[in-house]
Amino acid sequence: MGLLTNILLAPFLGPVWGTRFTLDKVDRAVREQLTDDTPIKEDLMALQLKLEMGEIDDDEYVKQETEIMQRLRDVREWRERFGMSIGGGPVRVAEEDETE
Amino acid sequence: MTAETASASELAPGEGKYVYCIIRNDRSRDFGEIGIGSGQRVYAINHKDLSAVVSDTPIVIYDPTRENVLAHEFVNETVMREFTLIPMSFGTVFRSEKDVLALLRSTYQAFTDVLDKMQDKIEFGLKILWDRDRVVAAIERDNDEIRRLKDEITRNAASSTYFARMQLGRLVEAAMEDASNRYVNDIHEQLKSVSVASRSNKVIGDRMILNAAFLVDRKDEKGFDEKVKAISLQYEDLLSFKYTGPWPPYNFVNIKLKLEKAT
Repeated sequence: MGLLTNILLAPFLGPVWGTRFTLDKVDRAVREQLTDDTPIKEDLMALQLKLEMGEIDDDEYVKQETEIMQRLRDVREWRERFGMSIGGGPVRVAEEDETE
Repeated sequence: MTAETASASELAPGEGKYVYCIIRNDRSRDFGEIGIGSGQRVYAINHKDLSAVVSDTPIVIYDPTRENVLAHEFVNETVMREFTLIPMSFGTVFRSEKDVLALLRSTYQAFTDVLDKMQDKIEFGLKILWDRDRVVAAIERDNDEIRRLKDEITRNAASSTYFARMQLGRLVEAAMEDASNRYVNDIHEQLKSVSVASRSNKVIGDRMILNAAFLVDRKDEKGFDEKVKAISLQYEDLLSFKYTGPWPPYNFVNIKLKLEKAT
């Protein structure tokens, strides 16, 4: 059960399939939005370009970078919560490879 | 719970190993105290004739801040002066030397093949942005249909219809897309003879028309350089060029490592 389902459907556990179906779709959309870091990375690249082109100064860069890093961390947290993979953090060679 | 997040400068190095790149080397190496975090010593972990270039790190997730990314790139630039290298993704941390050795062992053949292929190859980045107003001016100058329509609208400002203006807008848009494709194709074509391969990445923002990486043989470095300068002169009225490198072949190495989260 997803996040929204838990919040919204908890009191009604009847067979409301129609409603449930719609909410599942919303749930999926929300989840995708919470766990997708692509737009954040694009924002970061756009910010870097602005700095490179001299459109913003270092101070402004750092200020906006801080905000973007927070958004990346938020996504990472949601991904962990949903049991999805996250970039970064300690890794090791997947087990099946070790037996090769 | 997984690794905590930190800018890491305040953290003491732990047992973890941050991996920057893979090179062909079988001796012990010290690349200096230039590592990510707070200038950790960068050294080699060897397996047969391959080395992972690493520094010690606490087990953290590194944010891709400018500071961290520049540290990662600086190490690779330093190593690159002496070696052909396979760059690792930013932020790749292993728990121990043993885990790094397992990587070298299990991916030995793929690393060796790619190192052979990348021998003496370097990468250059080329981003091209246009000055919209100037491109529009050039289009209005060169395109008869657009010029006529625009004149007509200007002459009959009061009576010119919404549709005529719409039509003009549409024509200009199409001509701009056309121009963009023409510039990009011409530039690719001109750089073909001095590069081994190229890759176009997604453009950033609405002024960029090209965001490409070029793989260049070291012996052609000067030729590539001169060609880019000639092209930027050719287009200096319309386009601005952002030319970077030499880089390690970030865009041309694609080894899918079978890694999993170390808990």
